[in-house]
Amino acid sequence: MRNVSRWATSGGAVLLVAALLLFPSVAPNPYVLSAGIVVLNYAVLSTSWNFVGGFTGYISLGHGALAGLGGYATGLLVVKAGLSSFLALFAAAVLVGLVAVPVGFAALRVRGASFVIVSIAIVLILLLVFQSWASFTGGSRGLVVPRPFPDLSRPEHHRAFWYLYSGLLALALLAWWLVDRSRFGLGLKAVREDEDKAEALGTPTFAYKMIVFVVSAFFTALGGGLYALWFGDLDPVFQFSILSGSYLVLMALLGGVRNLFGPVVGAVVVGVALEYFKVSFGDTQLHLVATGVLLGLVVMFMPDGVLPALAALVKRLRPDDSATIREETAEELRDRRLANAGDKR
Amino acid sequence: MDGALLFQSVVLGLLLGGLYALLAAGLTLYFGIMRVVMIAHSAFLILAAYLAWWTHTELGIDPLLSMIVTVPLFFGAGVLLQRGLLSRLRPMTLTMMSVLLTFAIAVTIEGLLGYAFTGTQRRIQLGYGSASFGLFGARIAVVKLIAFGLAAVALGGLYLLMKRTRFGWALRATIQHQDAARLVGIDTARIAGYGFGLGLATAAVGGTALSLDTTIYPSLHWHWIGPLMAIIVVGGLGSVPGAAAAALILGLAQSVLQIPMGTTWAQTVFYLALFATLAFRPQGFFGGRLAQRF
Repeated sequence: MRNVSRWATSGGAVLLVAALLLFPSVAPNPYVLSAGIVVLNYAVLSTSWNFVGGFTGYISLGHGALAGLGGYATGLLVVKAGLSSFLALFAAAVLVGLVAVPVGFAALRVRGASFVIVSIAIVLILLLVFQSWASFTGGSRGLVVPRPFPDLSRPEHHRAFWYLYSGLLALALLAWWLVDRSRFGLGLKAVREDEDKAEALGTPTFAYKMIVFVVSAFFTALGGGLYALWFGDLDPVFQFSILSGSYLVLMALLGGVRNLFGPVVGAVVVGVALEYFKVSFGDTQLHLVATGVLLGLVVMFMPDGVLPALAALVKRLRPDDSATIREETAEELRDRRLANAGDKR
Repeated sequence: MDGALLFQSVVLGLLLGGLYALLAAGLTLYFGIMRVVMIAHSAFLILAAYLAWWTHTELGIDPLLSMIVTVPLFFGAGVLLQRGLLSRLRPMTLTMMSVLLTFAIAVTIEGLLGYAFTGTQRRIQLGYGSASFGLFGARIAVVKLIAFGLAAVALGGLYLLMKRTRFGWALRATIQHQDAARLVGIDTARIAGYGFGLGLATAAVGGTALSLDTTIYPSLHWHWIGPLMAIIVVGGLGSVPGAAAAALILGLAQSVLQIPMGTTWAQTVFYLALFATLAFRPQGFFGGRLAQRF
């Protein structure tokens, strides 16, 4: 089983790299490429969300707003402080990471429920501040962010950002993979499975949760900042919306939060569906209903995501190499233990 | 600051706090019963407000009469929600998954409201809508007083139900210790369902009260869920009296702070209180036993 999952990971990586490299040349027109960038943006954000959601099991509905904050910070640093685009992007991500420290301090001291409440509160506060503080943020009129490559044509601009986003996605996935294999990751998973026991066994749960929350906020802000540089126009209503945060949760959950590529798969499925919905139904309220129903179905019937569901299917179809389904009696267990003890001696 | 103005906002703040208290009581019930943070509570609130508005404009009767239908309807919906959906989630991840599930319900309700009634802002025009009376120099609108009265009666009824009836005892026993309650013969599954129904019924009363003097639109529920969440955390998750006290204090603070800060920035008082509570006293200021762990 271990071997199978390792093969699946490398296979997934090869497939993803091929897709990322080939898509710009396959995409028939700039619109498809730009839709692809939107999906890729979701993949980055959802993977960043999965640092917290996947490892610790703490579900944040506020990551959409952290991305928005990254976007606004990048834009404001370019417009007001005159920083160069990519320096501003990096500074903004560090800034959001710093903001995440006090937020995490308030949200992570206690268990799950308060964390969710804080994550929702963050969205509402940021929306309030960025809408009302119009003299600094541009308010409801929005904020125009100058393009980083002013002399590129529109399709070339899309193409450049496709590769930038690909690099960021690779970075985020690599970081997630490294955490997944580390002792640190093991501690985080212990928090997910049973926080009390983890704490009793000496895992510094609060510090671990805090670190992973800041890392997650950092990557989320990078994704949001890159979006600001690409799209060039920020509106507080869209940047600080609970709905966009819930899309990230839906994607990660649908793909499978315990899986490296889960959020990417989810982002492709949900991102394409969202884009399709926008094209065929326009701006009606039905996309809200569709999002709600889909999220409800996933939570009720597929809380582990499609990838694990597929893995279970593969396992069922493969020839059975596991030993037996018969349970051992206490007597057999004792005999075996005695035999083992005898071997050792 | 002018004394009459201050007195006026204190009175209005207390009236608003009463409505907050009723709604927060519902949220506290859900949390006490199942450790569920019910995001959809305020969406049901707006749904009830829309039904009251619809009753008034389409049927031409007083919006208060809509409660004859909405209160039992919401009670039933609450029972179904708990029995059919929430109790079927895995116990291990219940708190987190229930947030997502109730969020999904909230978004669905918002979308359906937008689809059925469009995003246009609606307001009930009542014969007594503009009536008001003076009290020591403050002007108080009759509708606000009616809304407060509704909230007070519902909250009082809830209190009596919880303290004086066998069902209330069973419900409180279920909240305190589910296993022990089952041992003494309480059908906790059924009681938990009814508890949810009761919680959702508060949203029906609250929504009707809200519709009397508020302009409603489908996404309004996001403006309510933030303050309500803050109230239940400040009051201590799971404590009904704590939530009521926090609701009155924060409602008052919001109303008074509106004078120097304006309506928009006055809302921040809820979030500041939320963060201060979690940073310095995570179990809440009036918290019960439950709050420690969550």
